[in-house]
Amino acid sequence: MPTIEKDLWYRIKDGDSSAFGELYDGFAGAMFSLSLEILGDRWEAEEVIQDIFAFLWRKPESYAPDKGKFSSWLLVLTRNRSIDRVRSRKRRVDRGESDDILSAREDQNASDGAEQATASDERSHLRRAFKKLPPEQVKVLELSYFKGLNHEEISERLELSLGTVKSRIRLGIEKLRHTLSTLRT
Amino acid sequence: METLKQKALDYTLGVLPKEESLLFEACLEEDDDARKFLVEAQEDCASLSMTATPASLSNEVRLRVMEYTEPKMDFDPFLSTDDISRLRDNFSSTDNRYQGGDASVDINDIKEGAIKDEVLTSYDHLINLLPMISGNSKAAAGEFEDLQSVLRSKPSLSEGVDQILEYDLKSENPATRSVLRTTLATLPSLSFFSDRLREDQANLADTRRLFYLCRDQLKIMRASFKDLDPDRLIEDEKLRLHGAGLLQTKWWGAEHAYFSSKGQVKCGHFFDGPVTERCVEFAEYDANMYCLANLLAPRSSTGDFHMELLKDAIPGATLAVATAKMSDQEHLSLQQIITGSLVTGGTAMQDHFLWKLIEDSMLRGHQTSNLKELQERKIYGINRLRDFTYLWFAWPAVL
Repeated sequence: MPTIEKDLWYRIKDGDSSAFGELYDGFAGAMFSLSLEILGDRWEAEEVIQDIFAFLWRKPESYAPDKGKFSSWLLVLTRNRSIDRVRSRKRRVDRGESDDILSAREDQNASDGAEQATASDERSHLRRAFKKLPPEQVKVLELSYFKGLNHEEISERLELSLGTVKSRIRLGIEKLRHTLSTLRT
Repeated sequence: METLKQKALDYTLGVLPKEESLLFEACLEEDDDARKFLVEAQEDCASLSMTATPASLSNEVRLRVMEYTEPKMDFDPFLSTDDISRLRDNFSSTDNRYQGGDASVDINDIKEGAIKDEVLTSYDHLINLLPMISGNSKAAAGEFEDLQSVLRSKPSLSEGVDQILEYDLKSENPATRSVLRTTLATLPSLSFFSDRLREDQANLADTRRLFYLCRDQLKIMRASFKDLDPDRLIEDEKLRLHGAGLLQTKWWGAEHAYFSSKGQVKCGHFFDGPVTERCVEFAEYDANMYCLANLLAPRSSTGDFHMELLKDAIPGATLAVATAKMSDQEHLSLQQIITGSLVTGGTAMQDHFLWKLIEDSMLRGHQTSNLKELQERKIYGINRLRDFTYLWFAWPAVL
């Protein structure tokens, strides 16, 4: 994962625009990739990124070090803002359900062979590790993290118990965490 | 412990019910384990985030983002002028908001057959174009061949605009006004970007700009000609809040074009919050902003102009202000155009129509037929401070 230098947030908090530029250069790509994956719409994903950076500049105090790593906080914020838009869109437009969108993500995963060489090693490993998870865990993680469905909605859609949904999410995440820790040692 | 871990994960995923969320947040203040599990959950979710397919942002997005770090223009001197003080003292909201329909005509009310055909053709073209430039299109993914092929298969939109403007459009009748609104507000800028995509090297920034312009133009056309697309107009008239963010997305850091003039838009004061209640109302607001931009862009001495939305400057109103550095001579000329004095034809007449469109819209937005009263209350106007010219209009705020 791209790293954000510890002092970068402090410099942004002090109104340092070059620090803000450094943050953008280092991290906007990862944020945009995530948002585009969730929304499937480039202009909307750009809006999310623009809004988040505007928010960060106006209210840098919304992050605090005790909330964990700045990079992780940013990615989760990006995910949540993108999911908010998906939910808002669903309320406005009657669309076919996300099986189409899900298969779009599966298609993207299938085209890994054409992935840019510029992707970091860690990201490549994570993507491969994700694909190697048991399909039932992948499906649940996709619906939960990238589509924003809650446990009840996933349970209903996949005809699973709530407990099974939660345990598959947890197991999938634990496997990814193990992959990452192996990579870093 | 496992329950607390699960709660931390559910909280991070945003699926914890509201009451449990509040309890968990309270727990965070006291419980080291809760904080530790939240940090872990966040890192786990960040790892998941990194499995997204890599995608790159265009340079233009960076330019837009970095604009947030630039100092905002100080509007206090403008807001302290006599005109704005008068507006502040005399502004009152209407009981009912504009809900569409006023000044909307049937397409057959256009007497000139060639103009009617041009409006219909233009609408069809734009309806078919919109999905080709939307955010999930091939063009948005950087594949421009199909888009350029379609654009090149049709006459340039600028030619259509020029054809319409050859006719005598001085009449005050509603059909003529509708033609003017659909021709002079968004369409000149839209034509510029469409032609550029058509003729030159295509790029994401122009495609994106064209998307927003196209979407807005379609709404303005449907609001102007009620039988053009009745099914979509029904959707446009539904209650649906439109936020300032929609305007900011379009105007922030945008390149604007009005016939041969181009300018860079600067913004700084857009707020978070609703501006209008329905698409038809948003179309009014939007068209007005384009009219302000079109009046300023050709006269700016730097090529830039500011477009701002101010929320709390006038209680009960959102204040749209456009301003640009301008020579005394250009300002005087603009004043004469606005009042209609010394306007005989050509581009001066066109620009005079832009101001008339704003005036018509003020009557609709403030649900009155008394334009003189709106003028006296300074609901809209022109002012000059040092070497900047300011144009503004006030619209009832969504409370």
